[in-house]
Amino acid sequence: MNVVELKDVCKKYPSFELKNVSFSLERGKITGFIGRNGAGKTTTIKSMLNLIHTDSGDVCYFGLPLLGHETEVKQRIGYSTGTVSWYPRKTLGEIIDVTKAFYDTWDEEACRRYMELFDLDADKKPMELSDGMKVKCNLMIALSHGAEVLILDEPTSGLDPFSRDELLDVFTTLKEHGVTILFSTHITSDLEKCADNIIYIHDGEIRADCSRSDFMKDYGQQGETLEEIFLRLEREARI
Amino acid sequence: MNALLRKEMRLSASALSYIFIIFGVLAILPGYPILCGAFFVTLGLFHSYQTARESNDILYSALLPIAKRDVVKGKFQFAIMIELAGFLVMAAITVVRMTVLNDVEAYHDNALMNANPFFLGMVLVVFGIFNTVFISGFFRTAYNLSPFITYIAVAFAAIVAAEALHHISGLEAVNAFGFDDIVLQMGLLIAGAAVYAALTYLSYRKSCRRFETIDL
Repeated sequence: MNVVELKDVCKKYPSFELKNVSFSLERGKITGFIGRNGAGKTTTIKSMLNLIHTDSGDVCYFGLPLLGHETEVKQRIGYSTGTVSWYPRKTLGEIIDVTKAFYDTWDEEACRRYMELFDLDADKKPMELSDGMKVKCNLMIALSHGAEVLILDEPTSGLDPFSRDELLDVFTTLKEHGVTILFSTHITSDLEKCADNIIYIHDGEIRADCSRSDFMKDYGQQGETLEEIFLRLEREARI
Repeated sequence: MNALLRKEMRLSASALSYIFIIFGVLAILPGYPILCGAFFVTLGLFHSYQTARESNDILYSALLPIAKRDVVKGKFQFAIMIELAGFLVMAAITVVRMTVLNDVEAYHDNALMNANPFFLGMVLVVFGIFNTVFISGFFRTAYNLSPFITYIAVAFAAIVAAEALHHISGLEAVNAFGFDDIVLQMGLLIAGAAVYAALTYLSYRKSCRRFETIDL
């Protein structure tokens, strides 16, 4: 069952264009959203969160269009990026205390559990956290309100290999609990580790949207790794 | 208290927004351009926008389970709360000057504005200008703070005009002392409140429209 659907989403900037982006996310699957820097991953993700004004197209969650059901939809989804620091000088405890009032389904016990699992200290401030810990903090907030869909913009960028591996293990655990995950990345080894499906975007256009095994079969050549396929596709696209 | 206002107070606000309310006390100074107190209250509010921008508050708020226009609503709720707190301080000082300190000689020899209901009406007009020029200007981009420069120019033009208005022949009554011309004075206060309400409402509508169309 599809929990997220994008249909013909278009957004034109002076020097870049998102062209008829369409894809869907299956419940309980991890989808890797891959493309080089500037390919349109973040723009697509922002359109999925109503952070940018799309020129046309629809974004639906749980069968509901995002526009007109923003409040209900956002109660059921979570977002994270490792590159942005929210309220760097406030403690996590203060941020959590304020944030929880916005969610009808906030689970205090789950919050405490994830704080412990991710080794987060309520007295610490975001400015004192590494990028990996910031991602975990965002995940903790999303999971404490029972987010069914997690949209993660390059959550593993800037992380050391060990932290990346640890985070990908968390994604796999969440998937087992039925959480749907879309994470953008340009690190192909992330996809090899945990992605069920792959969406490949190039120059604002979706070039592939299939399971990882189909991607390897349909786009790969004899003996190629995912990274080699991705690099070849990029090189071919430039010609 | 609703969750939006609580977020503004606990996460977005600069401590200076609260501290600068104290500048309302400037209304007690004899021979001082007391309407500047209203400007200082808005200067404190401006600091909260700087803090909010540094802490990615707008983006965080837009990701919360609220409609996009509610992000604007939270900012207006906070601004109105601080402005009314500043107004109450200045109103209390005004009442003291109109009653207990009515006979103090230092207040009688004043080339500038007296603390009276017209002054309070003008305080609200300055706040209305802040909401119109700065806040709705800010929501054109949700990051650019330069509308504050325009606000300074407009606010000081209004302050200078109000401080000097009573020097124009026939307008001496706007600077009435104590309870002199109290009917006119109360009328001017009510007019100031009406201007504040209208400017703030129109600015809120405009800010919502602008914020809906920008890309974060």
